[in-house]
Amino acid sequence: MPFELSHELKAAHDRDSLARQDFVSSLRGYILNDMAAGMKARFEDEVEPALVRALGRPVQSQDEVHGAMRKDTYFKFYSSVRYNAQEMVWRAVTPGVEAALPDLTRQIDQLSQRGGGSLSLDTNLDIPSNVAGLDVHLMPGGYANTDTAAAGAVYDNGLAVFSAGFMGPNLDDIGLSMSNYVKHRFPDFRPERILDCGCTVGHNAAAWAQTFPDAEVHGIDVSASVLRYAHGRAQSLGLPVHYHQMDATDLAFEDASFDVIFTSMFLHELSVRDIKRFFAEAHRVLRPGGLLINMELPPNRELQPYDQFYLDWDCYYNKEPFYRAFRDQNPEDLIAAGGFGPGDYFQFTVPQFSFTDPDAFVAAVNAPPSFDGETGRLSASLNWFGFGAWKAKT
Amino acid sequence: METAAPKLPLDAQGRRPAFFTEDGVDQLVTMVLELATELWVLRERVFVIEAVASRHGVPLKDEVETYTPSQAERATLEGMRGTMMNQLFRTLNRDHRPVDTDGKA
Repeated sequence: MPFELSHELKAAHDRDSLARQDFVSSLRGYILNDMAAGMKARFEDEVEPALVRALGRPVQSQDEVHGAMRKDTYFKFYSSVRYNAQEMVWRAVTPGVEAALPDLTRQIDQLSQRGGGSLSLDTNLDIPSNVAGLDVHLMPGGYANTDTAAAGAVYDNGLAVFSAGFMGPNLDDIGLSMSNYVKHRFPDFRPERILDCGCTVGHNAAAWAQTFPDAEVHGIDVSASVLRYAHGRAQSLGLPVHYHQMDATDLAFEDASFDVIFTSMFLHELSVRDIKRFFAEAHRVLRPGGLLINMELPPNRELQPYDQFYLDWDCYYNKEPFYRAFRDQNPEDLIAAGGFGPGDYFQFTVPQFSFTDPDAFVAAVNAPPSFDGETGRLSASLNWFGFGAWKAKT
Repeated sequence: METAAPKLPLDAQGRRPAFFTEDGVDQLVTMVLELATELWVLRERVFVIEAVASRHGVPLKDEVETYTPSQAERATLEGMRGTMMNQLFRTLNRDHRPVDTDGKA
């Protein structure tokens, strides 16, 4: 079941829209758990044995899996239903957002008066083509094409349906899990300035502000629409965050000005070239001894061919064209290309902070990372994957 | 002074992928899912209506069985069916020329 958003910008959907949203959420839950399990069984029982016989050897790549599964009826229905469900996510929330739009700007202005956080827009910023030219996630209109907070509102309301409860009550479980990982894994590290890059509606930046209340938290995105919404959202939650319209590959911040640079589900929307440019910028703006930390889908090198294929579905069918190219990389190499030292890299998995017993969370944070087919994907037994690097102290 | 809210798009840019080789099957899946969604919306609404009525001591379930709609109500229902049809068959026109049927089935 989706959680009802708990901030003041949530749209007031009519009863039929709410019923549609619940239905789509349940449908996605069914797809991502039941159908996903059924499809994997279908692969193991039927498709893989036939493929092994045809190849005369074990299956070695996700392309071999994808090629064989494309012909399979179960995969066709799984994909077709999942694609439709993605469209239905946005269709279920858009009418309510559209009705709320006339009041949204005024609401955000009023929330802004409360003080605490801030919003700085750069109307001259060139919006990169991976955002401006593409309806990423099949979100109609994309993330950057309006002068209002509409894209932010559609995304926030849609994400509540899409995530089917897996991202927590304020859709902030990734931010809470990652920030609490840092807090409990490195208890002597006390960040004073934290930056969330590619923050969209700021749901995770606000979580960092919650976990580290003494720190100054900033969030950047190229889209003015999502930032307008992010600003109002954080103000409503009483979490002071400073949002800036800025490109992560060309940060306007001074050298050595942050203790933490954070991203969530961001890198896989960038080309490999831009990821390297971003890591170089992250290295530049981090203070010595500062931390780069990214929540992402796990790299393909950690997964079996079937699980690689399963996770890369979004690359082919969800308007996320850089998804697989990123996951085919070794994140350690990408980090090194940004200027971090060879020994500075680390990777980890972490349970969901919102749904895990506090003691079990701390124990898991200090355990070695473990990878399986559930790592990093929305399902009933979810672990988030993260990786990062410390900037050398000297 | 209120400014008119922009209309928000409902479709993402670009052609939809075809998962089935047989023409029309992908659209059929959409139709089935839209139908299932609206069926759920209706079932939930009926559930709520009966619960509210029962809370107020109205034996709604029994009266529904013997109800006959007026001519005006029948026209309203026809319009509602037209809207439902547009939703049900939305993919047919999506990648071709959009046709405005004015809500008429």
